[in-house]
Amino acid sequence: MSHEAPHSVASHHDAPHYVAARVQRALAEDERTYELGIRVDIRGDQLFLRGQVEGAERRAHVAAVAVENAPGLTVHNEVTVVEVREPGEEETL
Amino acid sequence: MKVRVAAVGDVHLGEDIRGRYRPRLEGIEQRADVLLLAGDLTRHGTPEEGRIVAEEFRDLRVPVVAVLGNHDYQSDAEDEIIALLRDAGIHVLEDDSMVIPCGEARLGVVGGKGFCGGFAGKCASEFGEPEMKAFVRHTREIADLWHKALKGLDVDHRVVLSHYSPVKDTLAGEPPEIYPFLGSYLLAEAVDAEGADLFVHGHAHAGVEKGVTPGGVRVRNVALPVLRRAYAVYCLGGEDPESC
Repeated sequence: MSHEAPHSVASHHDAPHYVAARVQRALAEDERTYELGIRVDIRGDQLFLRGQVEGAERRAHVAAVAVENAPGLTVHNEVTVVEVREPGEEETL
Repeated sequence: MKVRVAAVGDVHLGEDIRGRYRPRLEGIEQRADVLLLAGDLTRHGTPEEGRIVAEEFRDLRVPVVAVLGNHDYQSDAEDEIIALLRDAGIHVLEDDSMVIPCGEARLGVVGGKGFCGGFAGKCASEFGEPEMKAFVRHTREIADLWHKALKGLDVDHRVVLSHYSPVKDTLAGEPPEIYPFLGSYLLAEAVDAEGADLFVHGHAHAGVEKGVTPGGVRVRNVALPVLRRAYAVYCLGGEDPESC
């Protein structure tokens, strides 16, 4: 019986599925972000962030938290800042 | 006896965007008779952010009625936030109701943060572990309180204000797997039992604005990322709808 860890353990742990889940969880639970609505997709060594936040500083924090939790991946921050426009036409119900 | 209801949710105010929202509220008294805030007023749920919310929405020339959202509970300071908002003249509903005179009409607003659990046929039940029972019971107890509050309301128009959604309609765009964390059909069932003119909620940032309960009550998701405008305005019950 071998005492060496199976080679597959590390690679399973780092499967894109789990890395994406780890990033998504960090975005929700890290106090710099507390963002629950950011979509995280990994394709090869590229990580894509999509969603909306309320300010430019928050957008930057989202990328920073993602980078910390996905070492070795290139993070593409496609998150946009919500623009608060003038109230529009009213709706009659 | 029409009433114009302005509503927005999920403004997620914090130090970094302090003062950004207030200019958009100028002249609201010309557009609406009341402003409803559908929860997630803060991001971290701290008293400091609660003060920013109070400053942003205080002293408007229309009554402001708010409920909290899940973010406003994150720092276990919800009672302090509620007190700060009330000190600023903002009404906060906690599974109860209030009546607002709007000209000749009386508007009743019922609500609270609501909660989740899923939608009919695809939802959690009060079964099994204590944690699961407590999760579902929380929603059921809220729905029961709303039902009672609606029953006792003698007004011209009734609006329900919640953070969580009562229907799936307004969640379209969110991943279906997370619907059970975005709302509960128990909220809709309670409201359909007594009837209302409008159900306003937030929480689902990737959802859509318009939906309807199984009983025909109009539902509007007013989360700021959905509206992309300072607030929506809904005109209730004009004799002549064109006059709204």
